[in-house]
Amino acid sequence: MTFFKMINTDLILMLNTKSIIVKHGIEADHLKQKKIKQMKRTYLYNGLRLFILMCTALPLILSCNKELPDATSITTAPPTGISIGSMLNDASYSILKAAVTKAGLTSLFADSTAVLTFFAPDDAAFIASGIPSAAALAAFRAGQLDTILRYHMIGGQAFTTSVLSSTFPNNYLQSNFVLAPPSTTLPPGLRMPVFPGKGTPGWYLNNIPIKQGDVIASNGVIHKVAALVMPPSLPLWNAMSADTALTYFIAAINRADSGTAAPSRLQDAFANSAANITLLAPNNAALKNVLFGSIYSSLLASGMPQATAFSTATTLAASPANFSRLPVASVKGIVVYHMIATASGTTYLPNVRIFSPNFPSNSYLKTMVNSSLAVHPGIIVQSTFTGPFITSLKFTGYGTFPGGGTPFSDPPANTVAMDKHCINGIYHVIDRVLLPQ
Amino acid sequence: MRKNFFMFLLFMSAVFAVTSSRAQTVKITGTVINKETKEPIPSVSVLVKGSASTGGYTNNDGKYQFSVKKLPVTLVFSSIGYQSYELEYRDITQKLEVALSPSSTMGEEVVVSASRVPEKIMASPVSIDRINVNSIKTAPAASYYDVVTNFKGVDVISSSLTFKTPTTRGFGGSGSTRFNQIMDGMDNQAPGLNFSVGSVIGLTELDVESMELLPGASSALYGPGGMQGTLIVNGKNPFKYQGLSFQVKTGIMHTDGRSRVPSPYHDWSLRWGHVVNDRLAFKLGAQLIQAKDWLADDYRNYKRLGTSGNIIDGTRATDPNYDGVNVYGDETSVNLRSVLNIIAGAAPFWADYVKTLPSSIMVSRTGYTEKEVANPNTLNFKLSGAIHYKLTDKVEAILAAHSGSGNTVYTGSQRYSLRNLVMSQYKLELRSDKWFLKGYTTQENSGSSHNLTIASQLFNEAWSPSSTWYQNYAITYLNAKMNGKNEADAHTYARSIADATRPVAGSATFKNLFNQVIQKPIPQGGKFLDKSDLWMVEGQYNLKGIINFADILIGGNWKQYVLNSEGTLFADKKGAPIKINETGAYVQVAKQIIENLLKVTFSGRFDKNQNFKARFTPRVTALLSPNKDNNIRFSYQTAYRFPSTQQQWIDLNVGINQQLIGGNKALWDKYNLTSNNPYTKESILNGTNIRLPYTEAKPESVKSYELGYKGLLRKKLLFDMYGYYGQYTDFLSRIDVLQTTDGSVPALANITTYPAYSVIVNLPQKLKTYGWGLSLDWMMRRNFVINGNISSDQISDVPVGYRSFFSTPKLRTVLGIGNTGFGKDKLLGFNLSWRWQDGFFYENDFIQGDLPAYNTVDASFSIKRPKIKSIFKFGANNALNQYYRTAMGNPSIGGLYYVSFGYNVL
Repeated sequence: MTFFKMINTDLILMLNTKSIIVKHGIEADHLKQKKIKQMKRTYLYNGLRLFILMCTALPLILSCNKELPDATSITTAPPTGISIGSMLNDASYSILKAAVTKAGLTSLFADSTAVLTFFAPDDAAFIASGIPSAAALAAFRAGQLDTILRYHMIGGQAFTTSVLSSTFPNNYLQSNFVLAPPSTTLPPGLRMPVFPGKGTPGWYLNNIPIKQGDVIASNGVIHKVAALVMPPSLPLWNAMSADTALTYFIAAINRADSGTAAPSRLQDAFANSAANITLLAPNNAALKNVLFGSIYSSLLASGMPQATAFSTATTLAASPANFSRLPVASVKGIVVYHMIATASGTTYLPNVRIFSPNFPSNSYLKTMVNSSLAVHPGIIVQSTFTGPFITSLKFTGYGTFPGGGTPFSDPPANTVAMDKHCINGIYHVIDRVLLPQ
Repeated sequence: MRKNFFMFLLFMSAVFAVTSSRAQTVKITGTVINKETKEPIPSVSVLVKGSASTGGYTNNDGKYQFSVKKLPVTLVFSSIGYQSYELEYRDITQKLEVALSPSSTMGEEVVVSASRVPEKIMASPVSIDRINVNSIKTAPAASYYDVVTNFKGVDVISSSLTFKTPTTRGFGGSGSTRFNQIMDGMDNQAPGLNFSVGSVIGLTELDVESMELLPGASSALYGPGGMQGTLIVNGKNPFKYQGLSFQVKTGIMHTDGRSRVPSPYHDWSLRWGHVVNDRLAFKLGAQLIQAKDWLADDYRNYKRLGTSGNIIDGTRATDPNYDGVNVYGDETSVNLRSVLNIIAGAAPFWADYVKTLPSSIMVSRTGYTEKEVANPNTLNFKLSGAIHYKLTDKVEAILAAHSGSGNTVYTGSQRYSLRNLVMSQYKLELRSDKWFLKGYTTQENSGSSHNLTIASQLFNEAWSPSSTWYQNYAITYLNAKMNGKNEADAHTYARSIADATRPVAGSATFKNLFNQVIQKPIPQGGKFLDKSDLWMVEGQYNLKGIINFADILIGGNWKQYVLNSEGTLFADKKGAPIKINETGAYVQVAKQIIENLLKVTFSGRFDKNQNFKARFTPRVTALLSPNKDNNIRFSYQTAYRFPSTQQQWIDLNVGINQQLIGGNKALWDKYNLTSNNPYTKESILNGTNIRLPYTEAKPESVKSYELGYKGLLRKKLLFDMYGYYGQYTDFLSRIDVLQTTDGSVPALANITTYPAYSVIVNLPQKLKTYGWGLSLDWMMRRNFVINGNISSDQISDVPVGYRSFFSTPKLRTVLGIGNTGFGKDKLLGFNLSWRWQDGFFYENDFIQGDLPAYNTVDASFSIKRPKIKSIFKFGANNALNQYYRTAMGNPSIGGLYYVSFGYNVL
């Protein structure tokens, strides 16, 4: 503004100068000349002043130089909808809400910047799992609830069921339940894995059916589960060792491991908490049969009379320690035929965790036998669903017992105890031994 | 090289062996003063009429002395700014005190560069601008080099305080290979770079007599390279400019603390010219400039695709793949998914999670800002000296040496910190009124100069190799995500962990490690080693007196580049530099077709570069002068440029999977590109999948037509205008190509994984440029001068998808007012100028994007104190401290305020 004013003043001055020249036209010539000269000077002077002012003012009048723009932040649109935390206010989640509060996870679920996939047990799920009311949560410590609930979440991604559609193998994902905190050295942070996947009737988390999937929240997605999905507490080796139905199986594994040093033994694999193994574990009766049969036939072959051989074999088969009487290679062959494997490059690895609903029915599964004999056809699976649940799970091995029969002609092994979930794998107890040849 | 140089000296000394004896008889002495102020006038030419060189110059006390063979003689006294005066000298008793009247010099100035013969600027057949020693003294610019900024049609790109690149008629850039600069008769280019390194080398401020600027094509006279124009800076002859003078300029920069704390600016300059006797004179000069440089502080995010790219949204905090314009080291970019896949292989329990992540998660390393890695201290030390010896009355021998050293920053394909750069030039010249013969050499040593991008990238590799860094990043990123963090937070957390031990800029660890990196040459370190030389022998003869039907000039030159980078920059080897020879010859015929009305000049030039076919470049000019104050000029000029030394022989790894290579077939062979032709990146992106066969790069050329008019009205108003049209053929450019091992088509998804080369191509299209300019100089009463100019340059016919690097505003203007003497005894002076240029899209290998319009004001005020032969000057560059940038990625330039004291520079 000031500059405009100054320029105006100068313009007025110039105009005045001109009018003075006109007005005083009658003055004496020399005076007139002198005055005109002065006027001209003034005129020139004023002209100059104007020019200087303009030069100074122009840049100000025109514009300031555009300041170098700062880098622009990338802003992502704030997520729409309500948070998982808010969704839990629904009446059907009263027990879960109480559990979340007690576990101290309220802020995590309410965190609008978080991204979670949450497998949420509603009241019905709690009731189905033997927790009839919020009051019943008193039986749990806050830390236990924290662990259980974290086992129901996967961080960083909002997995919809379409992502989890893989039937076999299922998805091997890391829950929010931390086993070993991350360090700067490998192995990085280890979490209790969860296995969402698809079975014939629908979606599952581990072996628990998902009642309703894909409830989109602002900070993730909720899938309603039919029951609490309890985290495992023991590695395979420890769990099977404690299982009285598997005394013979443990003995068989020990026999298979004899002559092999740690950490290459099968037992080491079953004890390794980072492993991911599916075992079809024959129960004691099944293995006792095989142990008896093997001893009996070898006694007969050595020329022992049938009755003596029978009673000797019966006595020997009563003790699982007598697996030591069988050749290591054949015991090992039997054990690894019960470990499910998948192709990994040119080899086969025991790297899947198959819950009962995940078994592909009427199809062949590869086993660890394939790691030494790639062309081996594996085992046959047959599963039957009633509703979302497996009611029958049968496996047929290639070999027959006693030997010499047509392949896959033995009656199938029935699963007598399903989904024995461990930290590093799962085992299903079966009532017959599957023979690789 | 040193040995070569001595051989060269020996050779030139042999030329000197032409000596003669002279008989001196009468000594003439006297003084010259200003008629109005009665002060002595230095540097007045006192010449015996009718002779070309018999005479002398006044010293600082206005005294002159020389000898003549016999009396009587007529003496002609002349000096810029004064009316010439003639006096007949009959006998030695005659008093020789002469008083000259100051006069307007408008249109009277004499220029040499337009036609390589002296002519009045009014009668120049091509556009030319000139500033003389007086204008330089009173200019508001802090450095004489900046004065050219105020010429019409000139663009000056400032890469830093002391690295400025002027150019005209488009194709501006930091380091223009299409604009010649000739300082004191020597091509000022750094032989390894092919462009002038600005004011680093060259004349010291007090040693500049005049600058002449020839806009537009000028190869016909000055050889290959001058496609866009030629700037000629002439030094002061010690015979004419005598005595000791010095100037101390001290200023302040960064006054607002925007990018650095307020810091001083020093510019000290010294010159001593001394006439030993009639025949021998010498001069010595030194100049030291020291300041904290302007800072390039554009932190916007740049999406780089080879040498192209664009500004995008994103900051370090919000874009994991952020690549700041003036942030270095963050050019290293890796797809985190590929790292995660490796981790998933080692930790199978993460494999399924990793599988669900996007296939491309680009993550860049954390960079350092230019402020953190570039040495802020700009230093420039120049030392020069010359011995002038008159072998005969007509033949003068000159032995001159210039050396410049220091620190500065320039912008090429990346920002380069030139540190301890030394460039020296040595010249031996024989000169008469009719001919000259000179030989000179430029010796370059890049010292510990380094590429800031590469140095920062390798610095990052030094403190944490990318193999480790990305692994840490990836693991942390995964853990953070699995902990429930969203994508952005996971990246932030991952970076904070991966960068946990990142050295803080400025810390002892940082400095140690960074210095180690810049000590090692590229590609192991950031240092670029360049000890290239240039050798030149040049001669010219004016056939006046031998052939009289027309004015005929003939000349020729031999030039040799010796590229020596010990294999770090060029495809040379240690001890086996690459030599490139160029020879040229020219002839110029000028004829007054109609006496005092029409003059036609023809010039032609023939050049041969050993790697390219010979080129002929003609120039025809016509000057129509209805009277002495009105001149219409027309010219048809051609110019061309051989691919620069870098465009021929560079072999530089400029980052992961990126190789910058020259056009020489040996380089294509080296990378197997001749037998396994690469695909152009552009064609992979648009799906046409075109392979690029080897084609020998041709020199590019321009044809330019110009019409101009210069007029002088009542000796008070000088106006000059021009319009031009230029057509470029075989324009030299670079394109990015990709090579696959088996010649198969590169997959678009993996485009960043193939070896990429930036190769030289001639654009098949003809580019057209056109423009105009107009300037007015109005000499008013009482020494007030108002000047203004406006000019425009435009380009057309640039095919879609190609980049012309025209980088020039459509419109720019300068307005100024000044006074060389007002107030009591005319001791006060001032200058005020305002410069504005329009915004435009700036294209560059480094960064391209919209460069906003800007305006800036320079002002100065001076007070003369003749009694102590001194002048005080107060000046301000960018007086309003309105930051502006002259190129994308270049520093923001703020206000520089200074006071100077000059002794004996009146």
